[in-house]
Amino acid sequence: MDEKVGKFWDKYLTKKVSRIHKKEEILFSDINKTLKLFYHLLGGDKGKELHITDKRSIKTSRTLLEKISGNGETFFLPWQDEKGLYLPASLGYFPLKTHNEMHYYWLVALLTQVNIKGSNREAENQKGVRVLIKKYAGFREFYTYAHQYLLNHYPELSTIESSLEGSSAGNYPNPLWIYPSLSSANKLLDSDDEEEVQRQNDEQRKSETLQMKKKSEQIDDKKETDGLLMFLPESIMSLMEQVKVDRQENDSYDEDALYNAEDLDEITLGQKDANLSARLKMDLDISANSIEEYPLGKGHFIDEWDYKKEVYLKNYVCIKPFISIHTEPIALPKRLEKMMRRIQSELDLMELDRIKRDNLPYGDEINIDTWIDYKGHQNRSNHPQRFFETYERKMRDMSTLILADVSLSTEAGITQEIRVIDMIKDSLMVFSESLYRLQDRFAIYTFSSIKNTKVNFHIIKNFKEKYNDDIRGRIDAIKPGYYTRLGAGIRESAKILEKQQSANKLLLILSDGKPNDVDRYDGRYGIEDTKKAIEEVKKKGITPFCITIDIEAKEYLPYLFGRNSYALIRDAKKLPKVLPEIYMNLTK
Amino acid sequence: MSKTYYLPQSNEVELFKAAEGMNLPILIKGPTGCGKTRFIEAMGEMLGREIYTVVCHDDLSAADLVGRHLIDENGTYWQDGPLTKAVRNGGICYLDEIIEARKDTTVVLHSLADYRRVLPIDRTGEVIEAHPDFMLVVSYNPGYQNVLKGMKPSTKQRFISLSFDYPKADVEKKVLMQESGIDEKIAQKLVDIAGEIRRLGDCDIQEAVSTRLLIYAGKLITKGFDPYQACIHSIVESLSDEEDVLEVLEKLISLHFTKSLNV
Repeated sequence: MDEKVGKFWDKYLTKKVSRIHKKEEILFSDINKTLKLFYHLLGGDKGKELHITDKRSIKTSRTLLEKISGNGETFFLPWQDEKGLYLPASLGYFPLKTHNEMHYYWLVALLTQVNIKGSNREAENQKGVRVLIKKYAGFREFYTYAHQYLLNHYPELSTIESSLEGSSAGNYPNPLWIYPSLSSANKLLDSDDEEEVQRQNDEQRKSETLQMKKKSEQIDDKKETDGLLMFLPESIMSLMEQVKVDRQENDSYDEDALYNAEDLDEITLGQKDANLSARLKMDLDISANSIEEYPLGKGHFIDEWDYKKEVYLKNYVCIKPFISIHTEPIALPKRLEKMMRRIQSELDLMELDRIKRDNLPYGDEINIDTWIDYKGHQNRSNHPQRFFETYERKMRDMSTLILADVSLSTEAGITQEIRVIDMIKDSLMVFSESLYRLQDRFAIYTFSSIKNTKVNFHIIKNFKEKYNDDIRGRIDAIKPGYYTRLGAGIRESAKILEKQQSANKLLLILSDGKPNDVDRYDGRYGIEDTKKAIEEVKKKGITPFCITIDIEAKEYLPYLFGRNSYALIRDAKKLPKVLPEIYMNLTK
Repeated sequence: MSKTYYLPQSNEVELFKAAEGMNLPILIKGPTGCGKTRFIEAMGEMLGREIYTVVCHDDLSAADLVGRHLIDENGTYWQDGPLTKAVRNGGICYLDEIIEARKDTTVVLHSLADYRRVLPIDRTGEVIEAHPDFMLVVSYNPGYQNVLKGMKPSTKQRFISLSFDYPKADVEKKVLMQESGIDEKIAQKLVDIAGEIRRLGDCDIQEAVSTRLLIYAGKLITKGFDPYQACIHSIVESLSDEEDVLEVLEKLISLHFTKSLNV
């Protein structure tokens, strides 16, 4: 009972003190998408993300009631750094929704005006305010109103008035202003930012190491499966030993993830005979329905471009083709059906596309033009006499190879539940479904790499296979791999596409970031090799096209693919819907 | 003084004149509504030449350009196409959106677009030498991403290329005032809006707002339309169908041309 009374009292007090209009509040989560677009519209940096800001405590003079209720002590202040914008989770200073919404837009607009590194917060804000109200009539109206309203209802803000005029600064934060970032030294603010960064780093490392650990444990498990090992040759024993050592190292998170990755490399590839290790896996893991990656042959070698020496490194990269077996055939997931219906209506429009073919020796109708032409021809015996025409569905004569990058980075989450890899899977399903209905020829491959010695090239569907439940099962079984040796992936795909008979060949690359690998295949080296690979592709008469969700891709994609051969998708969740649309646009 | 209003963006007029003097064909690329067609019209007037415009589409056959046999009471006779007319009589043959035409159609241009300057017509067995005043101009919009379309390099490399973009802010402002009759203040606002939308780039909208759309908005405003409404109908709705993009564009317009907040 006491508790109840206490709660009630607390509620009452908070209500009395809080001047926030709860009902008219606007939530950041509801409008963050539009805010982001708006930010870009006003010339904001496209690499920056929008986030919710943390609470900060600021010493202010509070009324007695506020002190009792604990209100007014902490504030959600808008700020920015090199990585993103940080805005309050909700805004409700004004009694009208439109004004509260406008407040968000105002803050975003002001963020584009305020210099991150500017030391003088007041001067920066005032300058920004002046620019905005001069340029935008809408903001002028809002600012005049908001300023007046805040002055009337937040008497402690009156210091703003003076600070606006350029004299002393008030210490009650002005809701219409932008504040310095947490990390910059400012006495007013608690700085727990560093810890946050540290924590994030740790987490990231943990997930990386976890991935590595999983892999090693997976191999380790086999040791215990049954007594089969008894009959295996000696070499296997050495494998076990290696596994053991590695596991110990993995138990501590302090280990450098990169080092782990290199170690992992040793484990899976340390065997001289790749086939033997593969057979070992097969023997031990044959239990029904467990998805297994089955190697198709020993792998083969292809070249790589070294931009420093300006030569091809002959047979430098080892491509290892894999296929997932024991996958469960599945139908198109229910969640994608609605989207598929929408796409279908667009597909129908394409299928209606019929063209006239004339100059035929036989056909549906007589082409009057050809007939007249014949009549007027000087030398009739020379005339080809192809008088007929016919309407037929446009045969598109296209072969499309989709190459999806399934590197470790696709493990990253878009939201709590959805990872990038999930979106890639969904996209591949919707996309294959669309192409199947269009009756276009297509194939799907995925790749990931660890150094030049192992570029896994997964076959999801080749050109000859029929699209069916099994293919969907394989798409569903796609797992994030390791790194992105993009040049190798492109060269291998080009080899496959080259053998196709179609007049038009399209190589569609689905990527989530820059080419990179653990060895020197990073930065310039990776970019240059990829560029070279794309040039080779173009020489073979194949059109490359890249679809990426890497927002920074604008910096290197035009260099790699040319201005018109890539598409940037800001929101990875849109990928499944956009992919077929891009394809249809490309081939209309 | 030419009737058609055209304000040069940079050196395109001089280049056109130079190319004309040396009988070189011209290729103009640029986004939609940036003034390609208007430029050709103005040039035609300036040089006093007739313009034969052909808008290309994927059913355009070589016969549509060169000509074909027709029938009258005396039997069949040959009818010149627009290209042949220009070649015979002199004038500018302007092929708009050449990328839309089938690749085999554009091949008839090859012999005209290099030093030979002849047009062979295989149906009549005639080989026409181009009139000294004949000039070939083609245009296309490089913004479309398409695998199946695109100019053959062998066609592309026979032209002097002129690359157009949306005019610079002050030029665009003058164009807007001249074309739609709005005052400088509103013109400035429209140009500001355009500058902001063009910043969005190609990941959210297919193509940025064109000068043509801005002129439409200006015209609606001179007719007495509320500037906010005019912009919504001429600019925002034409650019996208995506809800979130529409919303944010609407917001942008409302910031420039206020729709009272208290509604």
